[in-house]
Amino acid sequence: MNERASGGHVRQGMDYGEDADVHEVHSAIQREKREPRAGMEPLSIWLIVVYGLAIFFGGAYLGRFSGNFSGDSLDPALIPHVKTQGPNGPGGAQTQELSQADRGKKIFSANCAVCHQPNGLGAAGQGYPPLAGSEYVNGGTRRLGMIVLKGLQGPLTVKGQSFGAAVMQPWDKTLSDAKISDVLTYIRQEWGNKGGPVAAAQIAGLRKELASHPDSFVEADLKAVPEDAELPGGEPAGAKPADAKNPAPAPPK
Amino acid sequence: MTPQSPINPAEVPLKAPSSGVQTPDSEVTTHDVEQVERALIDASTRLPVLFFYASAIVWLLLGTLLAGFTSWKLHAPDLLANYSWLTWGRIRPAHMNVMVYGWASMAGIGTAIWLMARLCRVTLRHPLLLIAGGVFWNLGVLLGVGGILVGDSTGYEWLEFPPYATVVLFVAYSLVVSWAMLMFRFRRGDNTYITQWYLLGAFLWFPWVYGATQIMLFVVPVQGVMQSAVTWWFANNLLFLWFGAIGLGTAYYMIPKVIGRPVYSYHLAAIGFWTYALFASWTGMQRLVDGPFPAWMVTASIAATILSIIPVATVGLNHHMTMRGYFGLLRYSPTLRFTVFGSFAYTAFSLLGVFLSLRSIAGYVHFTEASIAYSHLGLYAFFTMIIFGSMYYIVPRLVGREWRYAALIKLHFWSSAYGVGLMVAMLFIGGIAQGSSMHDPSLSFSEATDSILPYLRGRSVSGMLLTIAHLIFAFHFGLMLFGLGRTASMPTFLNPQEEEAVKEHI
Repeated sequence: MNERASGGHVRQGMDYGEDADVHEVHSAIQREKREPRAGMEPLSIWLIVVYGLAIFFGGAYLGRFSGNFSGDSLDPALIPHVKTQGPNGPGGAQTQELSQADRGKKIFSANCAVCHQPNGLGAAGQGYPPLAGSEYVNGGTRRLGMIVLKGLQGPLTVKGQSFGAAVMQPWDKTLSDAKISDVLTYIRQEWGNKGGPVAAAQIAGLRKELASHPDSFVEADLKAVPEDAELPGGEPAGAKPADAKNPAPAPPK
Repeated sequence: MTPQSPINPAEVPLKAPSSGVQTPDSEVTTHDVEQVERALIDASTRLPVLFFYASAIVWLLLGTLLAGFTSWKLHAPDLLANYSWLTWGRIRPAHMNVMVYGWASMAGIGTAIWLMARLCRVTLRHPLLLIAGGVFWNLGVLLGVGGILVGDSTGYEWLEFPPYATVVLFVAYSLVVSWAMLMFRFRRGDNTYITQWYLLGAFLWFPWVYGATQIMLFVVPVQGVMQSAVTWWFANNLLFLWFGAIGLGTAYYMIPKVIGRPVYSYHLAAIGFWTYALFASWTGMQRLVDGPFPAWMVTASIAATILSIIPVATVGLNHHMTMRGYFGLLRYSPTLRFTVFGSFAYTAFSLLGVFLSLRSIAGYVHFTEASIAYSHLGLYAFFTMIIFGSMYYIVPRLVGREWRYAALIKLHFWSSAYGVGLMVAMLFIGGIAQGSSMHDPSLSFSEATDSILPYLRGRSVSGMLLTIAHLIFAFHFGLMLFGLGRTASMPTFLNPQEEEAVKEHI
């Protein structure tokens, strides 16, 4: 506003109440200090040290208790769990947390149950073969490992019933050795199946062997492998490890 | 007033705090210009600010009454148990919401209006906008509290107001904020002062915090446990970004203003403000330690709380260095005493917040009275005390009278200070005791609850001290409002017999 023009308004503004003594009414404003300003003192070195400490501890806290920034980790100290899942002896599945089959069950419901159904009976109508009672599941681990790692292209005959041209995706890019061995152990022991457990090391060996193999086996590739061929390094019942290499399927195309 | 070329007060160099001698000619004219300007501004803010203050004080008294019931019923549950609208489950949210929206928000807005007008150096335009805002705000709080007592509470902490009250509050808030933006748009002078940053921030953060929460809880409700994540985010950010920003902004004005010395450092203020804005909005989830939430959510909030040490240390140092050499004035100036108390409480509040948020400690205390202690430390010891301080400064300028009785101010200060100190101590120690007995598997839950009864009684005693403080203040404010203050050329010092000694300083 304009100070010069508002001389008359000043008096009006000052006239707060019945008191005519302008001086007294305005004493609060007269004695008042200037409106505050900011000085320009520099940042103290000690304050920078405090900043550093706060950032350090805040960051350390975030790293230590963030549960790997995983959306489903409710436990801030989750980090060590991943390591304890290393290769167990094939029989020693009972760890302090979950048995191998229990872990496999979770992986199965997350990845496999959509097609093969939670009850393992598959969906014949859509061309998904059953796992319960399947000769491929109950037989040797080698065929099973091949199917899961590289996928399968129908048609395929399971339990005497023919299944159509449904495709099973390769899982070698998605699931780790430990997870594949867990899920195989699970399906080989569930629904009345009578297969032995599978170790992560066995899958790792097969994965290396099939590394350059293109995706999707067909039934003929599987038939080329003996039904009871086991992966090396597994059960005492495992077939001759050296020999197991020979029946490895030739590239189908 | 000025003869030819009006002097721009912003360009006049600051006088050094210690030197009493100025160049006579220019200083006199500058002072004249500034005085006329201030007189005009104060006169224009008179009605809206007093309206907000008076409403706030009425809500303060009502909230205190409700607080008394709330506290008493915890150790005397039979008290008035026959009236459904006076059951604990209704008066506790009623108490909290009256204090948060009725008292603290309205008083904060009142102070913010005056500060905005003073710092933008323009007379208040559109006072009707503010009066209407104040009327709607009162109506919203009244509807909300009535709704809670009738049984319409939404059940979300600090958001218990039923939707019909929220709508009214929203209208009120829009009126106030549009006024604030207009004021800032038509400000005079080149630079904005620190207080304006905080006030503008508060006015813009509040609708974000409040609106986002309303949308996520009531309009498009999020599912399941995420609702409590939203609620806690809201509660913490209302405390930090709304009340915290207004409180800090007020302290940044009052301290240098009363002692007549510039704030120690602009750089510290800038760092303090921006880091505050950055980290405060991340907090809130630390209240959910051990809850069914992804660990990173909770930990991110804890880390942000730890990082909030940066703004706290910065602002604290800035105020401390500004005050250095002037702490003696705390003996005399009521404004300074309340404000400095509030500033210290802010530091204590923030550090206690860091302490309580750490996982190992939160696991013990976060379902106990300790979190009530934390809220009171923030909302009362920090915010309310600073607002009291600003009222002691602003009201005499609006009514043209000085506070009547120094003894009443002193009594107000000490019963408030001891009251809130005792309350925080009782609730905090009681909370730790409660937490450790709840963690003891050999004790039943009722035994754990019984163990804090002495502390709850102590809290009721502290509440009585606060009640005394509020009654005294309301009485004193009433005297001022009805023109019964002193007409004197000196302000009301806390220790009047020594005022000669400090005449040059205040």
